[in-house]
Amino acid sequence: MKLFAYIFFLIFFTQSAISSSDREIEIYKNIRCLVCQGQSLNDSNSDFANDLKKIIKDKIDQNETDKQIYKYLVDRFGDWILFDPPVKITTVFLWIIPLLVLILGFYVLYKKVNFIKNRDD
Amino acid sequence: MKNQFKILILALVFIIFVIIFYSALGTNNKNNTQVMVSKKLPRIELTSLYEEEKKISFPKINHKDYYIINIWASWCVPCRDEHPFLMKLANENKVKIFGINYKDSKMNALTFLKELGNPFYDIGIDSNGQNSIELGAYGVPETYLIDDKGIIILKHVGPINKDMYQKIVDKIK
Repeated sequence: MKLFAYIFFLIFFTQSAISSSDREIEIYKNIRCLVCQGQSLNDSNSDFANDLKKIIKDKIDQNETDKQIYKYLVDRFGDWILFDPPVKITTVFLWIIPLLVLILGFYVLYKKVNFIKNRDD
Repeated sequence: MKNQFKILILALVFIIFVIIFYSALGTNNKNNTQVMVSKKLPRIELTSLYEEEKKISFPKINHKDYYIINIWASWCVPCRDEHPFLMKLANENKVKIFGINYKDSKMNALTFLKELGNPFYDIGIDSNGQNSIELGAYGVPETYLIDDKGIIILKHVGPINKDMYQKIVDKIK
């Protein structure tokens, strides 16, 4: 019985440790190391990257959400620190233009097919 | 008529795209080191370099004058280059400079000041760099000019040079 309890305890805590570390890595991958050449925090071992990693780890331990952590970093270092640009008034065209081009493409294709169909009839 | 309308719509879309892309050419898509400027100085507390029991906290509440926060270290070579400018700011312009000693040893920091002079009104220790990150710092040296309301009005990444010295002097006049 004691053995089962021990195994359960071990599995439970190992599992929670792994998931926390996975979350850290996911965040590190989305954060740019600002003093490196195009590297994420996850790829960098610079002083700056290690300091930020420590802060992110502390914030995760304090149960802060990903959104709160990203906001903390953006407030201090700007949007450039994120690899994924956030949707804002200034960046909204980045997200809308591909969609508009796609819709326009489908419309042109539809018109063209209709035109060929009518001509053949 | 229908064709003319189509051409007009296409021309309009084309013009909108040109305007968007042209305006995007002028925007800064690189790292902006001035994000903290015009923001309130974040709250931080440091242990004094001189007395372990003494704490130095920022922002300085009810501080009537502008003050400078300079992040430095004895091992940082550019910090030696900017040191004469800090001495000049403290001695000639009578502005209070608070130092943040970054990832340094106490002995080396004190030797550095003994050798080059001490421009700092007070010095706090940031042994692990976490307080500097709180200020939005990238490393050393870095300088912040804070106004009487606790707002960061100037941030400089790297050593202070002649131009930056003049810029600071103009702001504190």
